[in-house]
Amino acid sequence: MKLFGRREKPIGEILSGGESAIANKEVEGLSLGQIVRRRFFRHRAAVMALFLLSSVIVFVMTALETKIGPIRIPGWWKWTVEDIPELRFEDCPGGTIGCPTLSVNPFSNFGLGTHPFGQDDIGRDYFALVMNGARRSLMIMFIIGFLAGFIGVVVGSISGFYGGIVDAVLMRLVDFMQTVPIIIVAAVIGKTAGRVGPVFLALFLGLLTWTGLARLIRAQFLSLRELEFVDAARVAGASNARIAFKHILPNAIGQIIVSVTLIMAGAILTETALSYLGFGVVAPDVSLGLLISEFQTSFTTRPWLFWWPGFFIITIALCVNFIGDGLRDAFDPRQRRRISKKDRLKAKIEVKAGA
Amino acid sequence: MLGYIMRRIGVSIMILFGSSFLVYNLAAYAGDPLGELRFSTDDNAKQQIIALTRELQLDVPPPLRYFLWLKGILGVFVGKLEMGMTRESSSVQGELAFAIPVTLRLVLVASVTALLLGLAFGIISALRQYSRFDYAMTFMAFVLFSLPIFWVAVLLKEFMAIQFNNFLSEPSIPLRWMFIFSCFTAVFWSSLFGGERKRFWSVFAGAFATNFVILWAIDFTDWYLHPGLGPILIGFLSVGIAMGVASISTGLTNIPARNAALTMAGLAVLWYYPAQWVFNNHGSYLVILLMLALIVGTGFICASLFSKIDRGPIARTAIITGVISGFLIFIDRVMQTWAPYRATDAVNGRPVPTYGQRKDQLVTDDFWLNNLDTIMHLILPTIALILISLAGWIRYTRGALLEVLNQDYIRTARAKGLNERTVITRHALRNTMLPLSSLFVGEFVGLIGGAVITERVFGWSGMGTLGIRAINSYDLNLLMGVTLLLSTLVVLGNLLADLVYSALDPRIRLVKE
Amino acid sequence: MKLTRGAKFALAVAASSALAVSLLTPAQAAGRSTVVVHETNSLTSFNANTPGTNLVTNSVVGYLSGSGFNYYNDKKNLVANKVFGSYKVVKNGADDFRTEWTVAPGRVWSDGTPITGVDLLLSHVLSSNAYSKAAGLGDPDGDAVPAFDSNGYGGTYSDNIVGEPTLSADKMSVTLRFKKRIANWDLYGPGVNAVHTMVLLAEGKKALGSVAENNAARDRFLTAFNTKNTATLKSIGKVWSEGYNFTEVNASTNPLFLVGNGGFLVESAVTKSSVTLKVNPKYNSGPALSGAIDTIIFKFISDGTAASQALANGELDIYQGQATADAVAALKKLTNIILVGGTGVAYEHWDTRVNASPGQPDYNGIFKGHGGKGADLRKAFLLAIPREEIVEKLIRPINANAVVLGSTFSVPGQEGYDRLTATNGSGFYTGSQDALNAKALRLVKKHYPNASPSNPLKVNVLVPGNNTRRAAEFALAKANAIKAGFDLVGDVKADWPGRIGNSEYDAVFFAYVANSVAQAGSNANFIIGGGNNRMGVALPNLDTILNKLQFPLDNRQVTSLIIQAERIIHAEGITLGVFQFPAVTAYNKDLKNVKPAPLTPTLVWNYWEWSY
Repeated sequence: MKLFGRREKPIGEILSGGESAIANKEVEGLSLGQIVRRRFFRHRAAVMALFLLSSVIVFVMTALETKIGPIRIPGWWKWTVEDIPELRFEDCPGGTIGCPTLSVNPFSNFGLGTHPFGQDDIGRDYFALVMNGARRSLMIMFIIGFLAGFIGVVVGSISGFYGGIVDAVLMRLVDFMQTVPIIIVAAVIGKTAGRVGPVFLALFLGLLTWTGLARLIRAQFLSLRELEFVDAARVAGASNARIAFKHILPNAIGQIIVSVTLIMAGAILTETALSYLGFGVVAPDVSLGLLISEFQTSFTTRPWLFWWPGFFIITIALCVNFIGDGLRDAFDPRQRRRISKKDRLKAKIEVKAGA
Repeated sequence: MLGYIMRRIGVSIMILFGSSFLVYNLAAYAGDPLGELRFSTDDNAKQQIIALTRELQLDVPPPLRYFLWLKGILGVFVGKLEMGMTRESSSVQGELAFAIPVTLRLVLVASVTALLLGLAFGIISALRQYSRFDYAMTFMAFVLFSLPIFWVAVLLKEFMAIQFNNFLSEPSIPLRWMFIFSCFTAVFWSSLFGGERKRFWSVFAGAFATNFVILWAIDFTDWYLHPGLGPILIGFLSVGIAMGVASISTGLTNIPARNAALTMAGLAVLWYYPAQWVFNNHGSYLVILLMLALIVGTGFICASLFSKIDRGPIARTAIITGVISGFLIFIDRVMQTWAPYRATDAVNGRPVPTYGQRKDQLVTDDFWLNNLDTIMHLILPTIALILISLAGWIRYTRGALLEVLNQDYIRTARAKGLNERTVITRHALRNTMLPLSSLFVGEFVGLIGGAVITERVFGWSGMGTLGIRAINSYDLNLLMGVTLLLSTLVVLGNLLADLVYSALDPRIRLVKE
Repeated sequence: MKLTRGAKFALAVAASSALAVSLLTPAQAAGRSTVVVHETNSLTSFNANTPGTNLVTNSVVGYLSGSGFNYYNDKKNLVANKVFGSYKVVKNGADDFRTEWTVAPGRVWSDGTPITGVDLLLSHVLSSNAYSKAAGLGDPDGDAVPAFDSNGYGGTYSDNIVGEPTLSADKMSVTLRFKKRIANWDLYGPGVNAVHTMVLLAEGKKALGSVAENNAARDRFLTAFNTKNTATLKSIGKVWSEGYNFTEVNASTNPLFLVGNGGFLVESAVTKSSVTLKVNPKYNSGPALSGAIDTIIFKFISDGTAASQALANGELDIYQGQATADAVAALKKLTNIILVGGTGVAYEHWDTRVNASPGQPDYNGIFKGHGGKGADLRKAFLLAIPREEIVEKLIRPINANAVVLGSTFSVPGQEGYDRLTATNGSGFYTGSQDALNAKALRLVKKHYPNASPSNPLKVNVLVPGNNTRRAAEFALAKANAIKAGFDLVGDVKADWPGRIGNSEYDAVFFAYVANSVAQAGSNANFIIGGGNNRMGVALPNLDTILNKLQFPLDNRQVTSLIIQAERIIHAEGITLGVFQFPAVTAYNKDLKNVKPAPLTPTLVWNYWEWSY
């Protein structure tokens, strides 16, 4: 059961100095960035997730040709989504067509084969489709994350920092955004979004999903601005903008990053849900959500068409969630290192002794 | 306070006005309600266009048409709410009035169950921070967070309905599955208890053996064809429940409480046969409520018999034990309905449905058959909804409880020598509930509008289905009806959450004094 | 009270066995006599003839509970219901065309009232604009909703009817007079309505009347109809337009609403969930029932996947819908299910632009103009659409019997289709795709000698958005057309219907929905000024042929005219059919004689033949 990290050696005598002593000892002489990095890297699951997600991103992004304006970077995968190779019939189970050639059995046909994930109805390479879909879904995820994060931070910090009438107006705006049911309005827009593509959809969803973050940041600012270091900065003659962005914001950065990861993990599922209802990404564009909803009936007949996009969605969302969890722990100032079993035992004895 | 609420409501109405105007115009410009008709080869398509234009006032430009619609809505202040007609010539109010209870039934059961399970898992997870159980829960929560619900729905229908029904027609559990299932359960229990390696393995072995035997017994007796608990099993379970409730509620050192709980457990067994008679002859929700009241009353009497002082906690323990044991008897009765339910023509031997709210061809006055039918139709969508919202509750609860456990007053409570049970249940949990209570309001409101996909895949004609229909047929009045209701709920939910929070937590003031 | 252990045990045993006996008594049904049928949409009304309630489910329920003079069968043929009555042309003049409709004697409504010709008159009120205006019931074209909010106004019937139907002396038949000969006159006969129930409902009655009361009520309607009594007719109109808009039926429902003459009558209904029909014991208005089925339940399931899973789980006996290839494959695996591939009413076709459609800027693309270069390139383009491959990959997995369409006027299986396709010029477009590509490239090179797969001509194609199948269809077309020297540039639009006429598109592909089999149904697509002529087709000789289809003809004459028309269309390369939309019907293998049909009332058309 060592799924998430190695059990550490007891800290022994350091503990006797009290809990805060451990924490202080640990972070002495380090900058915030260093502390966060250290703590983050101690979160095994988060590190694994970060590694996995980066690999997935690199894998997905390089698989197919990338066009940036006039520049074309060729991909390493042999098929594109435009190719329509012959449908494979040979040795497919139960009379199906276009079954995957991926074989992990080291003793027979080990390797990728021509179509490792199989082929769709008309013969397009499913690996290429999944890669293209994953690319779209990742793009949607990042656009929503950044846009919602940006708007949420700006609105939240202005609202929390200035308070009063500005706060009242902005918070009413947040209320307003919240009364517009995302799923219905996204569907209304999605009905027409077939014309403008997934980028528009992502931008639109980004414009709708920042409200929760804004409330959070506002609350942070409301409490942080009352603290002494803000007064100190003010006495030192710092401008409002400087106080807000140089002094207060860094203290809220943990909350922000964590919320943004949550928004991003949610975004990929929102896209999936909308595509399922036919209001999100629509053909001929491809996204993981669209693939999965298109092939949901394949489950009993051509399961590979159902599992692969699902696998990528779950992997991406899972990684983002774990990274968020790691960051939350890393940014939390009250966060202590994991107390080993022996320490817990010791603490228990102390409590008992005290009782 | 009243002034504050009035002001909030006033602002909310303005917000609703703005957002409805926005949505109305967005929706009106998003599509042509006559699009399909324009392509119809029907003999009198032109006439139909004229009729529909007339009915939906399509000749009025949307921004102005909005005010026609608004006029009907504002009628609510003079008691004449008019939300317009749908394209299918039914009234929007009627459609909403039909859809709301459907959605509520689905969402209420699911969110309450998810909340309870989430609280339980979250609390254990926090108390056993960084244990195997905690890791497993965290991992599970994140996996659940990452699942598209319709994807889950397809799997649930395939395995829990179709395959399970197939299984029931020739029921027998293969040894292999008994083994695998027992292993899983054993891992769950042993990681729940935690402890040293030796303890882990002994719990594992115990749980494995118990499970294996139970599964084997179930298989051997074809229990899943004629399920039931029977008075003996109920007796054993009730005693276990009594001990468990007593240890959490008052601690086992409180002898009167323990005895009261055990007495309630004993009474549950004694009441088994009388309860059967009542259930069979007078099955109705009213009778069940009366029986519940009876249990509560007995609990009080029991508590006063066992103690002269400090009766509150004892009565609480007795009542909780009684209610849970009574629930077991209820469950037992529902289980007994299983065989006759399967045998009805409507069910035709396939009791787990994949679709709909009830089997309309099941025409019967039998309270228990109807009840079981409702339960069976609730099962799959409820599981799906629970799966997706459970994760959130586990994480929220864990986070909130850990936060509270770090507080100084917990340290103080421990320092003054309170035992761990009192510290957790009395000091920590109560404070954990504060933020969760206001979250629950928001989550619940969110689910009413957010169960769209669940409703769709499981064929429940609630709010979500209504919204989708409105969008797909460009039914503006219907869409606005749904949107307005959902936005009003959000506004009220926000207000309610704030009020609940301030009522529970004296530190928070809504009005600046 | 203290009991010995033995006494307790005895008590427990007694109680348990009593319990067991009481629980095991619910009787098990002897054999199934219930059919549960899937419908995609919910029932919204028991009157399917208003603009708002004109939905398939409503019509299907109406079909089971009401029999009329004719119905569509599974071959898209209109079949006369000789049991109910007969109809014929009684005067065949160029400006005085009369049809007579006679109810067979002895037919009864489910409340025992005999059916007469008076029951055929309400249909006129529901269809004739002139009558509605004359009787003061409102102008169907005007701003106010007419008293009878019918969707039957303004069609062929209303445009051509002269005066009012005349009732024969024995009140058993009705004669309609039209101002000219009309094609498919048998589609424009009177419908049957239990007018006596509406009169009673309008008078506020809550229970079924005796036969004498019912006959008297019907006579009151006849008087009002003849004298155009606005007040009485309006009160009936209110019942007809609004009274039937309910979806919940139980013991408290006014039985007057549920009177019918069909084989099955509505017994109960649950809003948005199902409607249950029970056999009509007095049924004698149509073919005799097989007798094995006594209950038909329609279950409303909007999600196709959910419906096929429900069928797999035994919750449905008949499933119908536009399933995906995988759903079909999954259904095929089930042993207790019979799967029938069928076709829907829609057919997919590719159109090329000849000229700008009215109100659009000039079209100057490569396909411009009739004859010569434009026609050659259009033909070449249509040759380059890999129709066989599209059908093979996209349609046959769902409907194994699907074929490439050889006509856009008629469909496989319809009378005369084989003769039609043999001689209508569609042969030009059939053959191996390699041969077709070569033929296409030759036509292209005739006008653009330099054109080749590496130097292709650009063709702008409007691609209907939001549709996976069409995206795949376009991908296949694009991949093949390049071999014939065409580079298809797709423009995907979600709001494509409004853009078909735009001059920027050289070609479009979409589907027409053919809801009836009127002879002249396709005319609007091709004649000058036709409502659906969006590709700028202007061929006077084609118009002459098509206009002849507007008069009554026998099937052979119709086929001959269509052959002439399609020869011109194919030689000009205007349009080319690809496939009929596949539909899937799957049903419980114990159920017999289920025959899927494309037109409303779809597969229930022969419900009397169903049996277990």
